[in-house]
Amino acid sequence: MSKISEATVMIVDDEEMVVGAIQSFLELETAYDVLPYTSPESALEELEERPTHVIVADFMMPEMDGVSFLTRAREIRPSATRILLTGYADKQNAIRAINEAGLYHYLEKPWNNEALKLIIRNAAERARLFEELEGRVGELERANQELAGFRERLIHAFL
Amino acid sequence: MASATSRRSGDHQDLINQAHLATLGTLVAGVAHELNTPLGAIHSNHDVIERALRKLKEILEDEVVTPDELEQVRRIVRAMDGVLTTNGIAVERMVKLVDSLGTFGRPDRADVDRVDLREGLEGTLTVLTHELKPIEVVRELEDIPRIECHPNRLNQVFMNLIHNAVQAMDGEGTLTVRTAPDEGGVRIEIEDTGKGIPGEVIQRIFDPGFTTKGRRVGMGLGLAISRQIIDHHGGEISVESAVGKGTVFRIRLPARLPRPEAREGGPE
Repeated sequence: MSKISEATVMIVDDEEMVVGAIQSFLELETAYDVLPYTSPESALEELEERPTHVIVADFMMPEMDGVSFLTRAREIRPSATRILLTGYADKQNAIRAINEAGLYHYLEKPWNNEALKLIIRNAAERARLFEELEGRVGELERANQELAGFRERLIHAFL
Repeated sequence: MASATSRRSGDHQDLINQAHLATLGTLVAGVAHELNTPLGAIHSNHDVIERALRKLKEILEDEVVTPDELEQVRRIVRAMDGVLTTNGIAVERMVKLVDSLGTFGRPDRADVDRVDLREGLEGTLTVLTHELKPIEVVRELEDIPRIECHPNRLNQVFMNLIHNAVQAMDGEGTLTVRTAPDEGGVRIEIEDTGKGIPGEVIQRIFDPGFTTKGRRVGMGLGLAISRQIIDHHGGEISVESAVGKGTVFRIRLPARLPRPEAREGGPE
């Protein structure tokens, strides 16, 4: 991902109207690729196939609760930033789960579009930094391996 | 397996009023939950429409439309298509909710009516949709005859039993709602796969004020009042439960209300 505007954002809520409303807003106001899902299982299948930078999931879903979904999503896409959507009545349970699962943010329903945009933008930036960091770590590991090989060759050459 | 049955009723006007309030509280909480989702969607869409209109006005400020602006207009049209679809779903959901409230407690409805009780059961399930989300709901609803009854009061019983069943399951399990014809009247069963009720508790479960849920206004009255309402209809309510397996409440109601002189006081 080279620019924040090119982020891929997944929205998962069993309520089609919630997914639809967020999708319309993001399509109007941003250049993100939006992946709308009403089934967490199908969303996980998509995650296997497609690099995704931000995942927004509802807490209370019949098939799978949002925290379990986001925990599984992390196994598939560790660099994606995860956000939980919660209804007011579920807030206490959700906050406990957020702390346990180490999520980036939670957003209360009904959400404010401007706040949602800002949170997703920051989340995308975080995912970009995470990917960069992963890239750098990879480079370092490769350099380390090269150095180790070089050292081996040096030792063989002089002994 | 423990069980209890009761036909007797007492005259406890204060308790009845408190139980009405408790049911009303459950009803209002359910409706608030159910409205929250469509309202949230419409609220967001309203904001999207405002933003879209602002963008369109900016584009139309000068005579020439650039290719970039044309692309923006296409984006706006796509977003508006989405807004329309979502608002359609949201409005339909709210209409359904208001309809189910209509079967629930419309003040202009006749106090006594001949009704198909499946309507009241479905209405109660609709109002409690949010609570029921993590629960599997199985409907085994055989055709039943319309019976003469106080529909709003029976809905209060359904709400109480279904609400209790959900609480007993603690976020996981199966709720089965059954209806069947029964000697000219109807039989209704509400079964959960929750934690069950121990034998020493089940003997007192229909006693006014008995509760295992802590001290709150209205708590512990629901089943006592439910029994009164069913007694008033000349019916019978019974419970059967196994700890760790679940509980089933059975209600039998006759086709007609008993004549007033045949009744031993009622919930008025």
